[in-house]
Amino acid sequence: MLSERERERYKRQILLFGENGQEQLKKSHIFIAGAGGLGSPIAIYLAVAGVGTITIVDMDTVDQSNLNRQILHTDRDIGKKKTVSAIEKLHEYNADITINAIDATISADNIRDLVGRADGIADAMDNYPIRYLLNRTAFEKKIPLFHGAIRGLYGQATTILPGETPCLECIFPKAPPKEVFPVVGVTPGIIGMVQANEVIKYLIHEGTLLKNRLFIWDGMESRAEELCIERNPACPVCGTKRTTPQKRG
Amino acid sequence: MTVKIRFFARFRELLGADVITEPKAGISLSGLVKEIAGKNKEGYDAIFDEHGSFREFVILMRNGKRVDIAEAATVTVADGDEIAVFPPVAGG
Repeated sequence: MLSERERERYKRQILLFGENGQEQLKKSHIFIAGAGGLGSPIAIYLAVAGVGTITIVDMDTVDQSNLNRQILHTDRDIGKKKTVSAIEKLHEYNADITINAIDATISADNIRDLVGRADGIADAMDNYPIRYLLNRTAFEKKIPLFHGAIRGLYGQATTILPGETPCLECIFPKAPPKEVFPVVGVTPGIIGMVQANEVIKYLIHEGTLLKNRLFIWDGMESRAEELCIERNPACPVCGTKRTTPQKRG
Repeated sequence: MTVKIRFFARFRELLGADVITEPKAGISLSGLVKEIAGKNKEGYDAIFDEHGSFREFVILMRNGKRVDIAEAATVTVADGDEIAVFPPVAGG
């Protein structure tokens, strides 16, 4: 049940989703992998929308060079753990929700426990090896992965529903090389908003999700477009014709 | 014949967004991308390795359908084709 205070707080979106939709958000738990450029806007907007439980994981400390885009963190947070900075800000944005900020490096050993019983995973990572772990975990737990990535003024996003859409390894079977990527804060702002928008629609069962479509943003041209994406029958994660590795012996 | 090649993200920075070209009949998909990308060394090097093979992360699509980069040398380009070439964007 929503409190009087919550009814007032979410009045404008209850006009859109109804009280049932708002209660659905309140009951939900979203896992955000990363409290950086994408994680910041995703976490802030899911918090103010009233997603009842947000778990956000990061292992980093706030550096001055983060501040052009990682809007959860400010000058006074330099040197603090990003999780400490994140939880402070998110509580200020919305004290009525539960926030778990976990200082950890996501790995194959801990990811299942970190994600726990979350209803979905928001991908706010900056590298493919961890994204592939998120993808496999989402597939195993049968929960959506809201993918987003950025570089410079370019970005991409898609919503991955296990068994229904291509998974991340169907779309991008090989990781690009690591690099210190250029970025201006508006790009993760835009892509993070697309991801948060997808999360909200998924949780309240409204609208059409970015399923089987890769949303592509070109900020230099101010142009958004999409590419159709398909499942790969031989995908090692979700393929119907995947080959099981044979044990040697 | 007329073919459109569309580059995305980093490839677009180096090679431009859309290239409309009239390649010779019978050209393969990889031959066509090489021909266009060859106009800018940095662009070519972003897409192809030192042996002239597609870098393993490059995504190729022809008329909205994925083409395996290992097969691009055996796929013949047809009139009206739209080819998309893009890298996975990785930052967050």
